[in-house]
Amino acid sequence: MKLFMYLDVDSYLHKLDPRTKMLVVAYCMATALMFIIPAYQLVLLCCTLLYCALGKCLINVYRSRILYFSIFIVSFIMWTLVIRGDTKLFWFVTLEGVTKGLSAGLGLIVIVLSSLAFISTTKIEELSAGLLRIGLPYKGAFALSTAIRMVPMIVGTGYTILQAQKSRGLDVESGSIMTRLKKYIPLMVPAIVSTIRSTNVFAMALESKGFGYSDQRTDYIKLKFQTRDYVITIVMLLLFIASVFVKFYYKL
Amino acid sequence: MKEVFAMWKNTKMIVLVALTAAIYAAILIPFKAIPIIPGFTELRPGNMIPVAFGLFFGPAGAWGAAIGNTIGDLLGGTIGWGSAFGFVGNFMFAYVPYKLWDNLGILKQAELAPDCKSSKKVGLYVLVAIVASAACGLWIAWGVDLLGFVPFAALASIIPVNNAVASIILGLPVTLLLYPRIKKWDLYWKDVMPEEDLPKGGKTARLGAYLMVVFALVGIIGGLILAIGGGQAAFQFAGEAKLMSVMVVGGICSIGTLVAGIMQS
Repeated sequence: MKLFMYLDVDSYLHKLDPRTKMLVVAYCMATALMFIIPAYQLVLLCCTLLYCALGKCLINVYRSRILYFSIFIVSFIMWTLVIRGDTKLFWFVTLEGVTKGLSAGLGLIVIVLSSLAFISTTKIEELSAGLLRIGLPYKGAFALSTAIRMVPMIVGTGYTILQAQKSRGLDVESGSIMTRLKKYIPLMVPAIVSTIRSTNVFAMALESKGFGYSDQRTDYIKLKFQTRDYVITIVMLLLFIASVFVKFYYKL
Repeated sequence: MKEVFAMWKNTKMIVLVALTAAIYAAILIPFKAIPIIPGFTELRPGNMIPVAFGLFFGPAGAWGAAIGNTIGDLLGGTIGWGSAFGFVGNFMFAYVPYKLWDNLGILKQAELAPDCKSSKKVGLYVLVAIVASAACGLWIAWGVDLLGFVPFAALASIIPVNNAVASIILGLPVTLLLYPRIKKWDLYWKDVMPEEDLPKGGKTARLGAYLMVVFALVGIIGGLILAIGGGQAAFQFAGEAKLMSVMVVGGICSIGTLVAGIMQS
């Protein structure tokens, strides 16, 4: 399983400031489900796919296609069955339900695609630097970025332990879901123990390098807004204002 | 609640936040592929981590659970506005256990170690896991309903059950197996944090613990009754979100769990 989605390529999105990309994700989150008009979500989806293409990360979209497809299908079916309206199509399915189902399904995909584009084009160091610049305390940003870096290592350790136990005859594929989950406990414990065991050494290594010594820190990555960042930020803000205006003025 | 912020002065506690978050996220992400409500919740065996790590690492476990859940959403491709309430909910999922463990008054001061070696401790573990699951479910269900995404009854029924099952069936053996090692490596949070930053306990703390139980259970059960009465359905996606009575009860009880936490400083 590939956990890090980051793609090391040269693209327009890779050159953007991480704060600009965070703003794009925030914009998508704020507006994707603002209107119950499937055509609106469809246009937004096309724009988001174009945005992904600008970041040369369509390969990641393709890799995650089953997840996105299942999010759309389940969301569409649930809303379609739940929402009642006046315009009956067949049985108890109404036009209002189908419209809401399509909007919600497409809107959710827009949100997850925008975050996919973000993680596909932003290094963890850039994410951490971006969070610091928008006001997250350094120690919080450090904990977040360290945790993200460690996830693949822990999964890798777990996978190695699983393979070792399977080679000794452990059967983790039979039984009910609960039975199978219980079989994973003896596999998870060594992975957890090996991770936690490093705490003391990790803390000593940090303190020996002056971690937390001063609040006045210098940064390796210097973030600076370029013209393209200003342009995208202004466009996003204008689009957001326009969306809010349309939403409340026309009561859509 | 002082220790929740004071812990950021301690390097070892910060490392424990990062490790808890990484472990939690590492177990959550592979199961993102088995959604219960797509984009909002899924099968989560990783829920064994917050209760156990909350008892081991105290505030570091709580921050770790909150950050780990956010990383799971980010890397699992399900980040959204609901993640903000997921952050608070998962924080409470690990915060409530260590608070109740110390302050409910069921264990004597000398036997507070969360080793789960006696039937009394196992019983207390089950109780705190259920209350913590309810507090987590309450925050997320209320928040997501407030945003108008998913009706309260759907998540308020699924999340506490999903959380409680994993944290009791999987979390209890993990606690039993890990605590001796945690203690041996001097990583139990009361051994790591300086004495002056530890909560003091007392009568107010005891009252806070009782109120925390009441707010969590009344919020989730009362909210569910009101939501079902208002046309929503438990364990499924039915009815309109944002029922006023549910919003009021859910909101008061959610904030109440935090206030009860402050009383336990």
